[in-house]
Amino acid sequence: MKNVLMLAAVAGLVGVGLHSSAQTSVPKSCFVYVGPVGDIGWTFAHNEARLLTEKAIPGLETKFVESVPEAQAMPTIDKLVGDGCKVVFTTSFGFMDQTLEAAKKYPDVIFAHTSGYKRAPNMATYMADFYQIYYLNGMMAAALSKTGKLGYVGAFPIPELKRHISAFALGARAVNPKATVNVKWINAWFDPVKAREAAESLISEGAEALAFTEDTATVVQTAAKKNIPVFSHYNSMYKFGPDVVVSGQLVHWEKIYIDFMKKVVAGGYNTKSLQNVDYWWLLREKAVELGAQNGMPINPKFMARLKAVSITVAGKKTNVYDRVMALNADMSSAKPTFDPYTGPIMDRNGILRVPAGKVASIGDLNSMGWVAPGVLGEIADEPAK
Amino acid sequence: MRFTPLLNPSRWRTLQVSSLAVIVALLIVGIVFALSGVNPLTAYWEMLRGTLLDSRGLAEVARRMIPLLLIGAGLTLAFRAQFFNIGAEGQLLFGAMAAGAVALFLPITPLTLPLMFAAGALAGGGLALLAAWLRQRFAVNEILSTLMLNYGAFYLMLYLIGGPWKGKNVRGFMYSDEFAAGAQLPMIPNTLVHYPTLVLAILLAIALQILLTRTTLGFELRVVGENSSAAKYAGLKTSSIVTIMALITGGLAGLAGVGEVAGIHHRLLEPGQISLGYGFTAVIVAWLARGNPGLTLLTAPLMAVILAGGDVLKISLNLPFRIVDVFSGVMLLCLIASEIFITNKLVWSRAVKPTGSGGAS
Repeated sequence: MKNVLMLAAVAGLVGVGLHSSAQTSVPKSCFVYVGPVGDIGWTFAHNEARLLTEKAIPGLETKFVESVPEAQAMPTIDKLVGDGCKVVFTTSFGFMDQTLEAAKKYPDVIFAHTSGYKRAPNMATYMADFYQIYYLNGMMAAALSKTGKLGYVGAFPIPELKRHISAFALGARAVNPKATVNVKWINAWFDPVKAREAAESLISEGAEALAFTEDTATVVQTAAKKNIPVFSHYNSMYKFGPDVVVSGQLVHWEKIYIDFMKKVVAGGYNTKSLQNVDYWWLLREKAVELGAQNGMPINPKFMARLKAVSITVAGKKTNVYDRVMALNADMSSAKPTFDPYTGPIMDRNGILRVPAGKVASIGDLNSMGWVAPGVLGEIADEPAK
Repeated sequence: MRFTPLLNPSRWRTLQVSSLAVIVALLIVGIVFALSGVNPLTAYWEMLRGTLLDSRGLAEVARRMIPLLLIGAGLTLAFRAQFFNIGAEGQLLFGAMAAGAVALFLPITPLTLPLMFAAGALAGGGLALLAAWLRQRFAVNEILSTLMLNYGAFYLMLYLIGGPWKGKNVRGFMYSDEFAAGAQLPMIPNTLVHYPTLVLAILLAIALQILLTRTTLGFELRVVGENSSAAKYAGLKTSSIVTIMALITGGLAGLAGVGEVAGIHHRLLEPGQISLGYGFTAVIVAWLARGNPGLTLLTAPLMAVILAGGDVLKISLNLPFRIVDVFSGVMLLCLIASEIFITNKLVWSRAVKPTGSGGAS
């Protein structure tokens, strides 16, 4: 009986969906992906978000194109616009210039570009960033290691990664002032072989916990084999190492997509109003989440060990578990009081980067060349001054 | 059932068998379409409609054809001389890097673009020459050396754009700065077709055909390829012929690289985004053309239709992006497998009666 009711309800919903699509004009929205939807990282997350957005906005029709090389963004957009797309999301930094060009070429189409900085009256930018979560992960990583030696597998030395690695190191040093983060670059977003080599060499060099920014689950799998605590990246990788995944960062691009599309449907966002629309969404907006998997901020298996490590915050004694949960709650609240990039912060060469009492601006964070103290290993184009 | 060798397979037979191989490939890919839930006829119709019957689609075909034609024409020559150059990807990247060096570090003059093409051809040719030299000097198999040099070129480019050539205005991402306007090729408006490279490619394909069939060098090259000991016996300088041939095949791939960066990207970027597998797809172009540079004028557009058509399938029917690779893979496989039917006749009788050589029949 219950099932029948459910079915009826679903049928009703579908009916409503069809009905409203015929009546209101929800613009057809199309997504240009840089990778295959089957990676366990970036493109997979955008595609999941697309599906959730479709569910959330009645009558929304979407389309996607996967693995679009940078040279082909323009022809792909041409084709999508020809197929009736009125909103186009381009989800890679490398699509920036071509998206801007397309915005000029198709003034009646709304564009939104991920992770870039160029905008137009009909082109917005958006980004969901993890730096706050990396800070929390750094705290936990340091608490779980005896020596404070941590390892980090990075894709490319771009500002996004420097921001993540530095936040991780700052968090680690908040728990253990002697903590170090050894970084290995694999110069690829998707290269399981190199990721494994990097993770293994970090472990053999003494790393007692691993974090990473690249688009595979390899580091988690490698850590699971060696029983080393690890932090999952982008999507939940808990299932690849339920005994070793402490926590990690999860993304919810749908928060941005749904908000954006609601405003498009309502008319607030149109082809004239996007010049200053730049989403920089963090924990507060729920675009990102601390966790080994959805709803599990910290793997319960590590709770006791994290509670056993005490730290002093503003003269008060607490433990790492409680502190991480408190900071997570604060940064997820409507008015966060804490930011990992609150000055004074020196870079690892002793140059003052964020003055006392100031918080690094979005612009600073987006063009970060320097890295925080404690980060070891070669960093390409680290500013000397 | 057995094969009996044909001494002099006719051109007509080559054409027949090759066309049949292409048709078999289309049938096999049709099965793949059906398995992924798309009516093969719909898929092929979409491909055709989105490429040849649509102005934007045609532009895409032309854009894909440029590097395929340049590299393919050069490869036919190399294959004719039995030099199996699998390194066009790397040679293309070397061409792109040389063009980048000229565009980024030399003063921009009206001669910048010609200089970029010259530098690119030299760089690509130089890389192929290295493999040719290794073969002549140390008998290193050129299939392996050219293939391995692809990785060398790939990582050299990554090093350059992540290090010394990294742009100032790229926010830490791995790109060079944008080329100045004087180092960018003109386009057919509203397309990505850099027509100077297209014209150059067509002229070179014709020139190579003339070189191969109407000149002494072409004759020598064919002799070296078909029977190197005979060539030596006849007193031909094998080494200098192979050198010239390597310079041409690598040089054309280098030109393709120049066209891609000066025409489309206007900067250096992650190497995989520039070469896009053109160097490998062009092997099929050359193979289909059976060693005739002129015929690549037909086979390059064919492969370009498949590449551009694959994109159409990706967009219109949401087929997985690997469909293009499946397509070219099946095509190459069928062509290679068909080779035996060109040089052999299928005889259905059971009796063993050797024809051609040996026993009188």
